[in-house]
Formats: sequence, C-alpha cells, structure tokens
Amino acid sequence: MPASNPLSRQAGPGAPPALFRPPSGRSTKERLIRSIFLACGLLAIVITLAAAGMLAGGSVPFFQRVSLGEFLAGLKWSPLHEPSSYGVLALIADTLVITGIALLVALPLGLLSAVFLSEYANFRLRQVVKPILEILAGVPTVVYGFFALRFVTPLLQRTFLPQLQFWNGLSAGLVMGIMILPLVASLSEDVLFAVPRGLREAAYALGATKFEVTARVVVPAAFSGIGAAFILAMSRAIGETMIVALAAGRTPAWPPNPTQPMLTLTTTIVNIATGDHEATAFIWSALFALGLLLFLTTLVLNVASHLIVRRFRQRYA
Amino acid sequence: MRPKWRKGRGTVFGALSVGALMVGLLALATMIAATVLQARRLTAMDATSQAGLALSLRSVEVPGREFVPYVVAAQVDPDSAAERAGLSRGDVLVGVGGSAVSRPDEVWDALGKLGPGSSTVSWIPKPEKLWGTLRAVVHPERPGELGVTLAAVPVGSPAERAGLRPGDALISVAGLPVTGTRQAWELVVGAVRQGPQVLTLVIERGRERQELAFDPIVQGEIPFQPELWRAWGRFLTRIGDPRYPERAGLLSALVGSLLVVGVMALFAFPLGVGAAVYLEEYASQNWFTEVLQVLIANLAGMPSAVVGIFGLEIFARSWGLGRSVFAGGLTLALLVLPMTIVAAREALRTVPRWVREAAASVGATPWQVIRFHVLPYALPGIFTGIILALARALGEAAPLLLLGAFLYVTYVPQSLLDSFTIVPLQIFDWATKPQDGFAELAAAAILVLIAMHLVLNSIAIVLRNRYQRRWA
Repeated sequence: MPASNPLSRQAGPGAPPALFRPPSGRSTKERLIRSIFLACGLLAIVITLAAAGMLAGGSVPFFQRVSLGEFLAGLKWSPLHEPSSYGVLALIADTLVITGIALLVALPLGLLSAVFLSEYANFRLRQVVKPILEILAGVPTVVYGFFALRFVTPLLQRTFLPQLQFWNGLSAGLVMGIMILPLVASLSEDVLFAVPRGLREAAYALGATKFEVTARVVVPAAFSGIGAAFILAMSRAIGETMIVALAAGRTPAWPPNPTQPMLTLTTTIVNIATGDHEATAFIWSALFALGLLLFLTTLVLNVASHLIVRRFRQRYA
Repeated sequence: MRPKWRKGRGTVFGALSVGALMVGLLALATMIAATVLQARRLTAMDATSQAGLALSLRSVEVPGREFVPYVVAAQVDPDSAAERAGLSRGDVLVGVGGSAVSRPDEVWDALGKLGPGSSTVSWIPKPEKLWGTLRAVVHPERPGELGVTLAAVPVGSPAERAGLRPGDALISVAGLPVTGTRQAWELVVGAVRQGPQVLTLVIERGRERQELAFDPIVQGEIPFQPELWRAWGRFLTRIGDPRYPERAGLLSALVGSLLVVGVMALFAFPLGVGAAVYLEEYASQNWFTEVLQVLIANLAGMPSAVVGIFGLEIFARSWGLGRSVFAGGLTLALLVLPMTIVAAREALRTVPRWVREAAASVGATPWQVIRFHVLPYALPGIFTGIILALARALGEAAPLLLLGAFLYVTYVPQSLLDSFTIVPLQIFDWATKPQDGFAELAAAAILVLIAMHLVLNSIAIVLRNRYQRRWA
C-alpha cells in the first residue's frame, strides 16, 4: 500500500512551511475555512488521544486487582475458571513463536526478492512486479487464514507432519510469513533502490562483480533500512488477528509447541470480546490490559522502525 | 581478469534471488488456484438445491466398525424435481449416477462429473416408506423380550417387493440382530453403506423363521442442471438458509459490507482529507504539528484488534450503538482515517511550491489557492489513496469481529441501526464450520472479496499512472 508506506520514496523531508498567514479580518470566509480544516486536524488528534486514554483508563481496574508482575510473568491464562489467573507469558511466547515462524519465511524470501527487483530486474519488470506486490500486500487477511486452515494444515498432515493438529501455530506462522512477504519485499526494495548510484559505480570501478557490489556494498549500505522493514513486518505479524483466529486455535500452549493449538494475544482479545460476558464482568478490564500491551509493543516497534528509516534517509539524502 | 568462481557465485546468487521472488508469487498463485478449485463445487451444490434437495451428513454406528457416514435428504421441496422422482425428507442417498456416495461432498463431486442432464439417483427410503411403521411388541412366547413387527406394509415399498407381510417379526438384518424399530432401519443403512445391495433378512412369520432377500434401494431420475453463472448469481443475490450450504447466500453480507464501508467513507474521508489539507497547507511547522504527525503515524500502525477494542468500548457500549451498521462504520473509519491522512498529505506534497506561489502572487486567497490550484492537481493522488483505503476496509474483519458483528444474519440490514455481517466475517464463519460444503462457500466468498480488491486496486493504479503529473 503505497499511500501509507512509511518508507515511500516520494515522501519529502516534511511539510513545507506555511506560505500564508491571512491578516486577521481580511475575510471571514477565509478564517472560517481555515478553522474547518483546523477542526479536522484537531478531531484526528482527539480520536488518537481518546484511543490511547481509553486503553490506559480501562486497564486501571485490571491492574488494581492483578499486579503487573503477575500479569507479565504469570504462565497461566485462565480468566474464567476459579481460581482465575491472568498471566500472559504463555500468550506472549505463543505470539512470538508464530511471529518467529512468519519472519523465518518472510525475511530471506523478502530480502532476496527485493535484491532481485532492485539490482537485477530491468525497469519494465519492476514496473510490473511492484504493483503486484502492492496488491498482494493488501489481500484481506481472512483469506490467508482460510488458506492456512483448509490447505496448509491438511497438506502438512498428509506429507511430513502427520502428528500436526487441526489447529496449530505452524501453518498459521507459515501463512503469516507469506502474508508479510510482499511488505518486506516492497519496503526493502525501496531502501535498496535508495542507495546512491555512486556507491555502486565506485565498487564496479574497483573491479567488483555484480554479486560483490550487491552483497558487500548495496545490502550493507541499506542495512539499517532493511532492519526497519523487518521491524515493521514483525509489528504487523504480532498484531495480526484473523490468520491466528482461524488457524492457530484457541488454547494456550506451554511450553510453546507449533504443532499444537496456540493462543496469541490477538486471539485472546477476540475470545474475550466475542465471549458471552456480563457487562460488569471483570474480564472486560483484561481486554484493555491486553490491548494496551499489544498497542505498546507495536508502538515501540513502529517508532523504532520510523527512527531507523529517518536516520537512513538523512545519511543518503 | 575475474576468476571464474567469482562470476559463478554471482550467477547462483542471481538465480537465488529470482527464485525467492518466484516462490513468493507462486505461493500466492497456489492460494488463489486452490480457492478457485474449491469454489468450483458451488455449481453442483446449487444444482442439488435447484432440484429441491438439501443434504445433510449423518452417521450410524455399526457393531465392530465404529461410525459409518451417510448422506440424508434433509429437505425436499414440495413440487420439486426431487419430490417428483420420489425422494422424500429422511431418505438416505447411496448412489448418484453410478458412484456410491457417503457424504454431501461426494454427491456434489458425482454431479460435477456427470454434467447437466438426468442422473440416476438411488436411495434407501426412510422407514415409513421402506417397510411402513414398525411396532415394538412384547414377544408372545418369551415375555420380557421385545419383538419388532411390521404393522402395515406400504404398497410398492421395497418391503412389499421382497414379500414381507404385516405381522412379520424382524429377527436380523444382514446377520445382525434387530433390537429396536429405529435400529432395524439403521442396520439396513449401515449394511448397504458397506457394500452389498441385497441384504439377507431373517423374519419370523407365525412361528416359522424365514430368510428373505431384501433389496432396500429405490431408484429415480432427477434432472440436475449445474449452471455455473446462474449458480453464482443465486449465491450472490439470496440471503438463504444458513443451515444448508447449498442454500446459503452472500446477499446480507454484501449489503452489510457496502453499508458499513459507506458509513465509514462518510466520516473518514472528509475528515482525513481535511486534516491533511490543514497539515500541509495551513499549519506552520511547530510542536503542535509535530505531535499531530507522530500521533497520526502511530494511529496508522495500531493493530486492528486494538481498533476493535476502541469501537467496542466507545461506539458499541458507551454510545449505545450496539452491534449496528453505524457502530461498524465508525470503527472502520477510525482504522482508515490515518491512512487517508497520510495518503492525502503525500498527494498534496507532490504539488510544487511554485504553483502556490504563482497563484498567491496574483492575489489569490489561501482558500482560492487550495481550491483552484492545489486540490485539482492533488485530486488524483487523493483519490488513489481513498480507493486503496476502501479496499483495505472491505477486507478488514478483526475490528468488526471484536465489535460483535454477527457472523450470519438472515436478513438484509434496512437501517443504520440494524445489526449486520460483512463479507470477511461471513468467510470467517463459513471457514470454521466443519460440515461439508461450507469450505466451498468460504472459497466462493473469498473469490468475490478478491475480485472487489483487484477491481479497486486496478482503479487506483490506473488513476495513479494516468493522472499523476510529473513536475519538471
């Protein structure tokens, strides 16, 4: 999705400074229009703050009863059975295992595809493949979930993993890898392409082969940008809901075992939200605590990715 | 001169990188192909439904062989082709066009192989038509033991053909003892499903035991008409019966999706473009805009599950909108708002500074500059972003799943306060149903969703390529 692509080449160094400062009283119409646009901007900020505030505020009652240590270090997530316990460590572990499988698929394939597109493919091929990647990056995730549940799991069971369960973390992770592959490829290609020509030409002038230029000059030069793309892909994988809700099952596994059903943070949120709980039930506050955890995790990853890209751009601007 | 190995290594690496791209594209091509293959059965499913049939999977326990599945006619429409052929509700289908069938999937596969036209269907009638009502009576000579006897044998039934008469007591079916009225019929089904067509029946007539050859199978001709396009047309335009996959339809989900996305567009796009215009054209670079930018960037990266929590808490519970179309639209608006802002800002930024300066220098007010000079040039880019946001919103399921949108509704939402379902959630629902036929429905709905996605993306790409101006 080029529009929201934070590494997009078109993005300039920031908004140009305002050109106009209409003198007050020149025209009420101008001022009115300006305030309408200002209101739009303010509403956007209010909504964002409200989202963050709601998550934080909603989880206060939760943390009044469950200590932070119990929440983060507890292994057992069983909010509905007495005695209830609210440990998310197993959920985090399951989330990370599935994310890890996804990254194992997406990173090598995505990076190699990006290298091919940026260094080997000619202009016309790039013109064709890039839009395809963008379209693929936007395929609804429920489609990938269906694919994992109905094709990948049966295929693995028939071939080399007969002990694989109907719901399992493995096929969810593999398919999630395919899902984030276009994202990794597209973002990495952007940063590889942004490496200045001069670096390549200097290496060629010293007698390097194409492979040496690519592997020893271009990829290391773009390393931080590629890292940013990977971090963003990881954030996407952690926040992904529909694939795991369809294919990974609804039971927490400890120790994490990808051939068994696994419960991620996002599926736990789905479980609580779609469960039949009374409006006053304590479990609703767990929803906010989990949401907050997910939000903060992805926030840290996104900001890190953002900062790395900015440094990368500054170096080669 | 370069040594040879240096060149060879480069070739291997080049091949590897092409391979990686191919693997990625191939995996996705496989995915689409598999979905198309799975959705193919929709035609045969529709043909059974058009013939007036709805099928359902049952199973019978056979001693020593666990459960044997069989397919039963769960619905037979009055005055339909199936009814005219003699089928009725509760009959067990055992063969279609020469192939034995044990589950609905196999019926549809058999029909798919046959093509249009009449096909011979064979079935075991329900008990009332197989041998009439059975009566459990106390054995006249061994009190305490129940005997199963035939009450009245229907004319033309398999029982009559085999020579059974009212008053006969059933002792065993295919070597297995009869212990109850329903169980006797299940023995017949279990035995036929395991192979033999003609069963040995031991009966007691008077005091005498007799062995009879019993052929329980009835045949009829049903003109099935598999029609690809009509099947799809009906799938897309009916609400259907959620219990039977051959009768289910996508209409309510399609309407729900359009309504929700419509509400979303109404809120997200004006607001998003407005915020972008403010940030790009009016705001000066200060801490406020800096904060705004960081916030918008973070909102854009928010996992959709978190957006769903927000929608559930604020729109559905605090504002009391419940699981309505309106609440769904607002939740999705929250999701695409940052995307819209980012896309619109990028589009505005491509308009060079001198366009604004030139307009301002001849006396245009800020609004006139924006309205007559900046927006016209930025519009194709803004529309591209809006269309991509629409595509994203149409496929998004997680926030609405959290909001509590129904997985299946049996009506078309009439107002913005009605509850609804959307295409991705309908897919989610069908994909998780274990019964035969639902995976096919999910695959068909996925093709619809992907088609919408492709159309919207193609429009966006064309817009971008055709109207994007290259400024010198």
